[in-house]
Amino acid sequence: MRRLLPIILVAVTVLLMVIGLTSVGRSGGTVGIASGSALPGFSSNANTPEQALSNFLIDVQRRNWDRAFASVERTNDSVNEQSFIQEWTGTNGGLRTFSSLESYDARPLHATDSEAQMRVRLHWSTPVGPMEDVRDFHLVHRADQWKVVWDEVPVPNVPSQVIPVNYLRWDLVQGGAGEQWGSNNVDSPHVRIVSMNAVDSAEGAVVMGEIVNEDTIPAFVNVQATLVDAAGSAIDDESSFDKILHVLLPKQVSPYRIDFPKVSLGKVKNVHIDVKATLVPASSDPVIGVMNQKLDTDAQGRAVLHGELLNQSGETVNVPHVIASFYDNNGKVVWVSDGYVQRALLPQESEAFAVEIPKSLAGKVQNFHVVVNQYSMHNS
Amino acid sequence: MTSNEIYYSRPIPILTILLVALAVHGPLLLMQLPSGSFDTNFHIFLASHYAHHWFNPWNEKWFAGFSQTTYPPLTHQWIALFSTVTGLKLGYMLVQLIGVLLLPVGVFRFARIWVDDRAASYAALGSIFLGALSFLVYEAGQLATVTSAALYLNALPYFYEWATESSGRALIKGVVLSLTAAAAHHVTLIFGVVFFAGPVFWIACLDARYEHRERSLAGVITRALVFVVLVGIGVGIVLFPYWVTLIQHPIHQIPIPHDSRNNFLLNSITGVNYFLIPYGAMILALPFIFLRGSASPRLRPLLVGFWLSLIFGLGGTTPLPRWLLGRAYEILTFERFTLWATLLAMPIVGLLAVQLLDRYRTKAAVGLAIASVVTIGAALAWITANPYRPAETMDVNPVISFLNRDGHDSYRYLTLGFGSQLAEVSTYTNASSVDGDYNSARLLPEMTQYGSAQLTNAKFYGTAGMASLRAMLEHANRYGLKYIFVHDSYYEPLLTFAGWRQIESFDHGEITAWSKDDVPPAHRIETDAVPPAWMGLLWGTLPVGVSVLAMFLELLLPGRRRARRIIETPVRITDRESHYVA
Amino acid sequence: MSSSINTACTTRKSRIGSEQWCRVLQADVRGDVRQSVRRRGALAFAICAVFLAGMLYAQDTDLRAPSAAVAGTPASIGTTGGGSATFYLVGPSIAIERAVQLGQDIPLTAKELESAGKYIAIVCAGNCRSVGFFVAPAKPVSLAFLVHPSRAPVGESNVVSGVALPFDEFHNLVLTPTSVDFQLTAAGAAPVSHRASTQNGAAWFRTSSGRSAGNLQITASINGVSTRRVVQQVASDPCRLQIKGQRNAKGFVVETEPVRDCTGNPVPDGTIVTFTARDAQGTDTVDAPVKKGIARAQMEGTGPVTISAASGVVMGNELHLGAQ
Repeated sequence: MRRLLPIILVAVTVLLMVIGLTSVGRSGGTVGIASGSALPGFSSNANTPEQALSNFLIDVQRRNWDRAFASVERTNDSVNEQSFIQEWTGTNGGLRTFSSLESYDARPLHATDSEAQMRVRLHWSTPVGPMEDVRDFHLVHRADQWKVVWDEVPVPNVPSQVIPVNYLRWDLVQGGAGEQWGSNNVDSPHVRIVSMNAVDSAEGAVVMGEIVNEDTIPAFVNVQATLVDAAGSAIDDESSFDKILHVLLPKQVSPYRIDFPKVSLGKVKNVHIDVKATLVPASSDPVIGVMNQKLDTDAQGRAVLHGELLNQSGETVNVPHVIASFYDNNGKVVWVSDGYVQRALLPQESEAFAVEIPKSLAGKVQNFHVVVNQYSMHNS
Repeated sequence: MTSNEIYYSRPIPILTILLVALAVHGPLLLMQLPSGSFDTNFHIFLASHYAHHWFNPWNEKWFAGFSQTTYPPLTHQWIALFSTVTGLKLGYMLVQLIGVLLLPVGVFRFARIWVDDRAASYAALGSIFLGALSFLVYEAGQLATVTSAALYLNALPYFYEWATESSGRALIKGVVLSLTAAAAHHVTLIFGVVFFAGPVFWIACLDARYEHRERSLAGVITRALVFVVLVGIGVGIVLFPYWVTLIQHPIHQIPIPHDSRNNFLLNSITGVNYFLIPYGAMILALPFIFLRGSASPRLRPLLVGFWLSLIFGLGGTTPLPRWLLGRAYEILTFERFTLWATLLAMPIVGLLAVQLLDRYRTKAAVGLAIASVVTIGAALAWITANPYRPAETMDVNPVISFLNRDGHDSYRYLTLGFGSQLAEVSTYTNASSVDGDYNSARLLPEMTQYGSAQLTNAKFYGTAGMASLRAMLEHANRYGLKYIFVHDSYYEPLLTFAGWRQIESFDHGEITAWSKDDVPPAHRIETDAVPPAWMGLLWGTLPVGVSVLAMFLELLLPGRRRARRIIETPVRITDRESHYVA
Repeated sequence: MSSSINTACTTRKSRIGSEQWCRVLQADVRGDVRQSVRRRGALAFAICAVFLAGMLYAQDTDLRAPSAAVAGTPASIGTTGGGSATFYLVGPSIAIERAVQLGQDIPLTAKELESAGKYIAIVCAGNCRSVGFFVAPAKPVSLAFLVHPSRAPVGESNVVSGVALPFDEFHNLVLTPTSVDFQLTAAGAAPVSHRASTQNGAAWFRTSSGRSAGNLQITASINGVSTRRVVQQVASDPCRLQIKGQRNAKGFVVETEPVRDCTGNPVPDGTIVTFTARDAQGTDTVDAPVKKGIARAQMEGTGPVTISAASGVVMGNELHLGAQ
């Protein structure tokens, strides 16, 4: 026992650690903090394309940039570590700069002894919700190891330029506390729901439509809806949250969509909509054009509305948000979709966007209207 | 024999050990070093509630209302009592200091079950410098775990004494001390039964067989059972409101990731954080612990207890904790097991110290001193060096002032990027938050249905964390959630797109205040979780009462002089096992 | 003597309300000091008699309210009878108590009568008498003037309304029917006057907005006191949204004619005009704000394109541009 016990304990410990190295012992930790790499000898060798890609993506996930960059095969001399990191972490305060690679699914497209093509679905965690990115990786076999080929050409730096800015802005001037009663009354902006439609979707009931600011001043709007059953009791109440343009300039129209998860419209007798509008300071800048919008089918067979956003102003838009309303041939809003653009929208530059439409509705859609919401770091 | 030799061959007086503990940890605590730790503000927050509402455990300030009967109250109630004189922060430091001072005493008394007084005294001295202790006190802020472990270590010798010698005094004092430990932290007591009491029971049985032949093994087992039954009944009574709350509202929430559940072999920094730093120089002693612990039959129970704690402390590195704990694995954090492992190893480390001092004298003393200082020093340095450290402290006073003026406290609020300072804001403001820093008390579906902890740290829980935050923001009107304070621009895009507007900024823009215009004032959220008044009365009297009783019993029922028994003595390497085994 | 006191007290107590007093006397009479019964009994009888006489006399006390009290003006309340009494005055935002001599006028200071409304004066000397009177507001010295809305589209009927409430110097609403003059002045239009009499303290008017955008000043005047409010008359929805476009190096520029409402007012700058261009590449849209009366957008595309514009729910003309 004297000699056997330590041997047994050490052996069991080692055995448990070996078992722990399988998926049983793995556990998700915090996201976005460097958690270090595997201890020497515990990382898998890149003997297969799958393993090489997995090692590479784990390093990216853990932000072990040196290791990740060292493991790629570069095809372009202009690629340096800085540009490699920027490709993954984003630039200019775009949504990607806030994002963390949370997980990934990889599948081979084709493979030979010397090279392989892998398609990876990257799952990002972002401030505005989870995002997916599909990316193809090319791998080559070099000296008993597989390596990811990195052929991303760094984005050239935009030369400095001077862009004249002449934008409009509304400011709120508050009267002093000593002012006479009634002298400072300012009415709330007049906004109006111009259309409303309620449909059942796979996730639950959806109430959507459009709202217009009929006033001559900017309005901060929020739409709240309450579903009421036949007995007059409220089933659920939800708000338009991020599926609306909250700041509406004079005569601007915005789609809105309110989701009621796990609620079927069959139970709903009435929909009570409450619009709150308040007067806020606002700016008419930046003006973002929505170019080349087209209904199409993407590579994965989904019906999408895609196009490009063109920043026509002199201000960087860090996170553009696209909200689109889709109409049938009677002009009725049949769906409202939204999507965030991962890259920042630089002045006078454009970025592609795409928003999905449910397949069942794609055939009904005759027209659409896209508005762009935005977050700019210095104007929040 | 030289004076040095005489000095090294004597046990270190317990008073000296206490003074060393006071000299090492006293200044660190007076400097309020734990202020920036993960949980300190949480404990202060709970204590602050007791300071204002001693007999009402329903706290409206977090999660739109939660019951403090979900967490054993002893340490918080003592902070609340001290706070009337010292204020909350210093009250916390005082209670923590008491816990830290009780620990070497407990280690000394616990170690004497296994080894002689000299080795036990070295074990106690060594426990002051444990990396795991510093990690838990100064980085994790686990006041209750440390205090409870210290109390439990002090209770175990009574358990041993009662089991082996049938001492009535030991039974009473052991039971009351165990109840005090449970009133400080129930988890320590529950797991302590396996990791601490198990080896003690085992050694009591061995001793009954080999040393006290007049007392039967059955007697030891019976007395141990009596002890366990009494403690079980006592814990059931003292923490009755806790059990009722737990039965009424079991913890049904999606598991929340914690880095202590990572595989340390695959995540080097978690390995450093949860293994290298807590064990420190003790890692060098591991071979000795295994060899010596195996060599002596009396030490084998201790070795097994240590090994089990060690494996649990490794978190997700091995599958054993997951297999044994089942669902509880996803609720527990595992750094506490490392503290227990180091405490269980201390008697054997004490033997190593004796052996080294006997052989190398001054050189060994210097070496051991350096190892101790390096261990605690590394743990203290790691507070600022590790990537998991709590967010840098910020001045939250403007936030507190904002909430306490102009009726802003009639709405609920949320902090984002505040880390553990959420609890600091909550302590000093009158307003209520939908967030909170205590996962087990949460009942709001927006928080329990996602695998995320505090909303203020949502981004660190990835998609789950942000989904939870999003769900909460979507229901802002329902909860009267009007104000959001942001200390991390990460959250700004979501707030902007969801309809919040920045209204103020504090501390040169470090913190920004956001508001949404259409939110109605907060109203009380109806729940059946509010404890009745009688439960508040029990909660306000029994836990603190049992701790006072324990103090009285220690003073009024002094222990008998310890009976001589054969214990583990240091041997030279050349000595054979047969020389010291009876 | 004792029985006579008893009788007197029994017969009088309901009227004089001094049962306590009599009981004290009775207790004294039945006390230990039997020797002084006669003397003390006589004294007690005398006191009771004086007291009862006072009470009877006080029953005749009468109060005369001031005939036309005005807020902030001293007044007095006449009394009859004699002796001292306690005077109470209860009114809107006031309640006072003081000792007075009956038979003399009770002076009420201007300070005590600052609030208009109903007052009750009470005098108690054994029993109580009260009288109510009304303090009317003083002359109006200020006007509260509420005008709605703060912004009104031009050319809408009965869209502007105002309410004037005259107050005296003590902030009492003046209820006496009084004429209020409303004067409406807009740039480029002759001032319009309207006189209304207050009813229950309020005078109001309702009017249509003018045809020109700009500030509409509304003044309410009463007895030389006037208050001014401003209603912003803003352009109504755009009318006849006309666009024109021309090719340039980047694609084409499309802009509106000066955007005006149906009465010819330019819409405010910042009003959004949505330009939509359809060509073979797809659809381009730009939400452009009106600047200096014109909304302009730069759009891309070289092929034939159809452009339309809309502002709110108002549609403009369609424009076709041929290929570049």
